[in-house]
Amino acid sequence: MIRFETVTKTYKGEVVALREASAEIQRGEFVFLVGPSGSGKSTFIRLINREEVPDAGKILVAGKDVSSLSSWKVPYLRRNIGYVFQDYKLLPKKTVTENVAFALEVIGRPRPIIKRQVPAILELVGLSRKADRLPEELSGGEQQRVSIARAFVNRPLILLADEPTGNLDPATSVGIMRLLDRINRSGTTVVMATHDRGIVDTMRRRVIELDRGILVRDESRGVYE
Amino acid sequence: MIFRFWYFIRETFVSLWRNLSLTLAAILTVAISLALVGSSLLIREGANQATAQFQEGVEFIVFMNADALENQNEAIRKVLDTSPAINEYVYVDKFAAYEEFRELFVDKPELVESVTPEIMPPSYRIVPTDPDADNVTELARQFSEQPGVKEVATATEAIRQIEDFSTRVSQALLLAAIVLVAVSAVLILNTVFTAISARKTEIEVMKLVGATNWFIRIPFMLEGTIHGLMGAGLAVPALFVVDSKVLAYFQESEAVPLFRGFAVPDGFVWNTSIWILVIGAAIGMIGSAFAVTRYLDV
Repeated sequence: MIRFETVTKTYKGEVVALREASAEIQRGEFVFLVGPSGSGKSTFIRLINREEVPDAGKILVAGKDVSSLSSWKVPYLRRNIGYVFQDYKLLPKKTVTENVAFALEVIGRPRPIIKRQVPAILELVGLSRKADRLPEELSGGEQQRVSIARAFVNRPLILLADEPTGNLDPATSVGIMRLLDRINRSGTTVVMATHDRGIVDTMRRRVIELDRGILVRDESRGVYE
Repeated sequence: MIFRFWYFIRETFVSLWRNLSLTLAAILTVAISLALVGSSLLIREGANQATAQFQEGVEFIVFMNADALENQNEAIRKVLDTSPAINEYVYVDKFAAYEEFRELFVDKPELVESVTPEIMPPSYRIVPTDPDADNVTELARQFSEQPGVKEVATATEAIRQIEDFSTRVSQALLLAAIVLVAVSAVLILNTVFTAISARKTEIEVMKLVGATNWFIRIPFMLEGTIHGLMGAGLAVPALFVVDSKVLAYFQESEAVPLFRGFAVPDGFVWNTSIWILVIGAAIGMIGSAFAVTRYLDV
């Protein structure tokens, strides 16, 4: 589903974010990206959905080389990739329903489909009863659920999550991880960057560790360190 | 598609409303600059109309009586053909004069109806060998004493002043207008940039869920275009005011020769208005396109 072939990415030609990284992630896998701040986790994720372009190497997503994708095709690539932020990035003046619907509206989905899919996804993330609330009326965990709902409402093949539990307490994080696990079991490939040792050690999924841009470890059913 | 249309309209107007003070500033600047552009064009056209008969070196015009006899005409022609003081001349017969009159007052049919070719004076438009003012005055005096001559109109000092004045005024206005047009484009750029900043998160989310660049851009470009169009919309009535004021001012001037006024046909004002609207929309689009390409790219 995702293949990195000796990918190198530097910023301003100096700071090496990723050096000759190679990895292959199969459809339906759940992968943790671990490593200290600045090790290249975010870059790894941003390369997958073409927020960044590599300096060298190839990145294949669903069989297509995204590093050489022409820029007008990028939006269509991203329609197959959900993205969950550490800080949720919900629109403060829109309700939960509107926030999720927004993701479908802006890619031109017809209204009847939006009306059917949004309540279904809110049901999945357990927020049906808060559908008409504004983000500020929700807890952090609930806000992250909305963000996940928005990322997943279009049923993407891949879900990218950059520190999705970074702003949450451990108990709430467990709930979020259950949700991501459920999404993964439905066949979606999940790539998640995290600092959270507890989560990685509990879930025992594939772990890719980065250190100063170098891929130093890649094991299935791994632990944080 | 219909849904998208309403999406764009809604987003555009929400954004316009959010930035009200900047929006108003942008619209007013566009309005002022375009009013100046238009005025400059109107004054230039007015001067052209007023002095049209005196272009291409024509320094004076001998108007014959409408009922001048053929031998009177022949006498004049003979002088014109033989005198070394005359370089060349054009004869405008009553029908041609009538045609010109009709063209000039196409907006005032009641005036056109009140005349017929029969009552129009034929005339000779004369280019003297020596365009010196004293010489022209002397020639004009001589012709005015000939039998059958109704009146001799010279390209007087006043005509020259009109040309001079209108050239200077229209150039000054045009210069000011160019500066202001640039200012208004920058203001629109700024307003759109502010609108973009206000919606940073929204735009980020849109990009990441796969909205196309055009889908993201269109509301902002529409916003800029609306600034430009609204400004132009305000400039158009200003043009009509300028038209009537300038008209009045120069019509009172004594420099206006027979049948010629400092009049700008209504059609010209309308044409100018359409141009003003086009320019306004273009300013808005260019300003917002700059903002959008500069601050909105992936």
